[in-house]
Amino acid sequence: MVFEFLKAFFIFGLSKKQTIKMAEKYVSIKNIKFLLNEVFDVASLNRFEYYQDYDKEGINMSLDAAKQIGDTYLFPIYTDMDKNKAYYEDGAVKVHKGLKTAIKTLAEAGWISAHDTYENGGQQMPFVVMNAGLFVFYAANANAAAYAFLSQGASNLIQAFGTAELKSTYVPPMYAGDWQGTMALTEPQAGSSLTDITSSAEETEEGYYKIKGQKIYISGGDHEATENVVHLYLARIKGAAVGTKGISLFVVPKLRNENGRLVSNDVSTAGIFGKMGQKGYVAAHIMAGENDDCRGYLVGEPHRGLSYMFQMMNEARIATGMIANAQATAAYYAALQYATERPQGRHLSKKDPNLPQVLIIEHADVKRMLLFQKAITEGSLSLLLQCSYYADIASVSTGEEKENAHLLLELLTPIAKSYPSEMGIHSVSAGLQCLGGAGYCDDFPLEQYYRDIRVNAIYEGTTGIHGMDLLGRKVMMHSGKAVKLFMAEIQKEIVAAQSSEFLKPFADKLAERLKAIHELTMQLIQVAMNNKPEVFLADATLYLEYFGTITIAWQWLKQGIVADKALQAELPEDDYNFYQSKLHTLRYFFEYEVPKTKALHERLASSDNLTIEMKAEYFM
Amino acid sequence: MKLLVCVSKTPETTAKISFSDNNSTFNEAGVQFIMNPYDEWYALVRALELKEAAGGTVTIINVGPAANDTVIRKGLAIGADDAIRVDSEPKSALFVAKQIAEVAKAENYDAIFLGKETIDYNGSEVGAMLAELLDVPYISFGSHLEMNGNVATIARDIEGGVEVAEVETPFVVSSSKGMAEQRIPNMRGIMMAKRKPLKVVPAVECEDFATVVSYSMPAAKSEVKMLDPENMDELVRLLHEEAKVL
Repeated sequence: MVFEFLKAFFIFGLSKKQTIKMAEKYVSIKNIKFLLNEVFDVASLNRFEYYQDYDKEGINMSLDAAKQIGDTYLFPIYTDMDKNKAYYEDGAVKVHKGLKTAIKTLAEAGWISAHDTYENGGQQMPFVVMNAGLFVFYAANANAAAYAFLSQGASNLIQAFGTAELKSTYVPPMYAGDWQGTMALTEPQAGSSLTDITSSAEETEEGYYKIKGQKIYISGGDHEATENVVHLYLARIKGAAVGTKGISLFVVPKLRNENGRLVSNDVSTAGIFGKMGQKGYVAAHIMAGENDDCRGYLVGEPHRGLSYMFQMMNEARIATGMIANAQATAAYYAALQYATERPQGRHLSKKDPNLPQVLIIEHADVKRMLLFQKAITEGSLSLLLQCSYYADIASVSTGEEKENAHLLLELLTPIAKSYPSEMGIHSVSAGLQCLGGAGYCDDFPLEQYYRDIRVNAIYEGTTGIHGMDLLGRKVMMHSGKAVKLFMAEIQKEIVAAQSSEFLKPFADKLAERLKAIHELTMQLIQVAMNNKPEVFLADATLYLEYFGTITIAWQWLKQGIVADKALQAELPEDDYNFYQSKLHTLRYFFEYEVPKTKALHERLASSDNLTIEMKAEYFM
Repeated sequence: MKLLVCVSKTPETTAKISFSDNNSTFNEAGVQFIMNPYDEWYALVRALELKEAAGGTVTIINVGPAANDTVIRKGLAIGADDAIRVDSEPKSALFVAKQIAEVAKAENYDAIFLGKETIDYNGSEVGAMLAELLDVPYISFGSHLEMNGNVATIARDIEGGVEVAEVETPFVVSSSKGMAEQRIPNMRGIMMAKRKPLKVVPAVECEDFATVVSYSMPAAKSEVKMLDPENMDELVRLLHEEAKVL
């Protein structure tokens, strides 16, 4: 009997211990510091007055502090926010009890206001450093951190275009984490097509506007972790022109200030959406002006709302890419941990069942899946930081340097948003696959990462929209100047890499693919010039994928140059392995991912317009 | 109140530890260093809380080379007013205590805080030596501290319970878990840290009474033993004879 009990305990104990094993690591600070300090040398941004206080020590300390916040307040509630999801009850939205502390901590640590001026309570932090910090928060728990950084985006918009009164009323409480900011764009009949917005604004003699309308899918749109919600709300002033030019931007708070008291502003929540993932991150259905008492305060000039909002949306697009990549990164580390702990099977050359099983990381196919994840996530992070760096130069420099950085940022934003979002899905899927059946079960976090990451390819413009944005607009803007600058940037890296024996084959391959996409682009532009916009943009999503792969190859070459140089010196074991991991992953990307562009090229160069010719009636 | 907090640099907890020079020297190559958590989380934060409640200053002191400035800056980012670094390798506990005592004698601190031990050498020696050199009381392993005027009431966890002691300033106290809650530096603190004073002073002579002969790593963990689930006799034998849990 005792033996039976012991046996049961022993077996149960082993089984239980195995099934509750959670990931211990979600991000590599060493990799982020490598990118910031060695690849991008972001401390050199202190040549600009606005960033003069930032040095390597301060940047590293900021990242370490971000990791501490992630470890303490975000990562511990990641899975619990999923298991205890947000819900709507009696007109209120209930969220995880740890969310209020998480938002407040991010605010008090200065991350919501980080980029703003010292005078406004910010720390004049470079975008590239701030986004590296946000990446840490998102990897720890994007579903919590995103609330705080929605407020940052809303604050930025008010700071850029609002009146002094709007700034003093709404920005400080959002910076403090007491009020939540949102982006209220989508309506039931107007999603990707914002032209069709019907929310109305009627000017009053008191100076405010009466707002009426509905908004759906409003992230952070209502919850009890903050005392108020501030919607940056798109509406059409009565009598305004139809189309996007008639849309204005308003601050529409849930509670408005009257004589020093917060009172209802006639903004109610009809409910929240049941989502596939991100279950702790509210997407609300907002009703404004049901009782004809909703006040909106105009931001900037009438009818310019959409152009203002696009400032926030471009930031949000980089943030969406960052969130996707952070989730894929956390999933990679969860898969890696499992692969280094799980014994299963034996080497194909040593199948003797009497031999102990090997860890699954010993199997070539598992290594391939892990390399795929590492290549996608570390390559994407490099691109996202590259874009953030361009945003800094565009923000604080002058003249040609400013203009060029702005053009490069414009060109690369659709890629920085879409590549991590689309490839991140495949990356998390590969991570889940590493765990086999365990990956599909909710005792491990992979299935949650898989559900959570999916929406990023939809948020802030679907991949299809960004494909058309890249090929239909960005590639041709300023007579193709952005593309020329982009080619020149890559060419610099190709030339630098060609002097290395190890890197030269990869540099040559990138040069060949760069030439190919350039020729293809010219061919496609010719189609556009022949007045065939449908044909020109039919496969814009594939063009985006092609362009994205070339872009990430560039980023890998950039990292490879630094790693190759570092390996010329004698290094401690950890550093040696780190730089070797970079070169191996670069090899993987060029051997496994870059060749896929040839298939994309073949399709894009084809004159067979089969998707256009396919009739709706044929889908049956 | 005028408070001094002693901070040490220790390897990051996941750092790979190795030795060189015939196992007589800790090999620092490739090792990431952090502020000793007992110094940071408990000693420094409690000192800051006392300053915030009653006014005064918090100075941090470290004995070490210029490479330690990163750790010192973190202390300043968390909230210390200024810092002193004694510019020398911390050769031994007595050496460190002697250097800190030399600085403290000239400054008349009301209280000197330090962690209960460092997480690398685990010596827990500097506090007692420092108190002796300054001829002031020493309370070790404090887990709670309240000030009332110039009298501190300090609780310290002991086997099976808590001991409460009262001590007048000046005194030295080593801090353990419970003394305070960890603080994460905010961005404003990080940016201000580089503007705060960091004074570098030379070391004074100190005789060494002991020499490290060698270090060794703990024995490697034995491999997991896989048993036939039906072989309960062998399981019981292993639990009894090897694991010694039965």
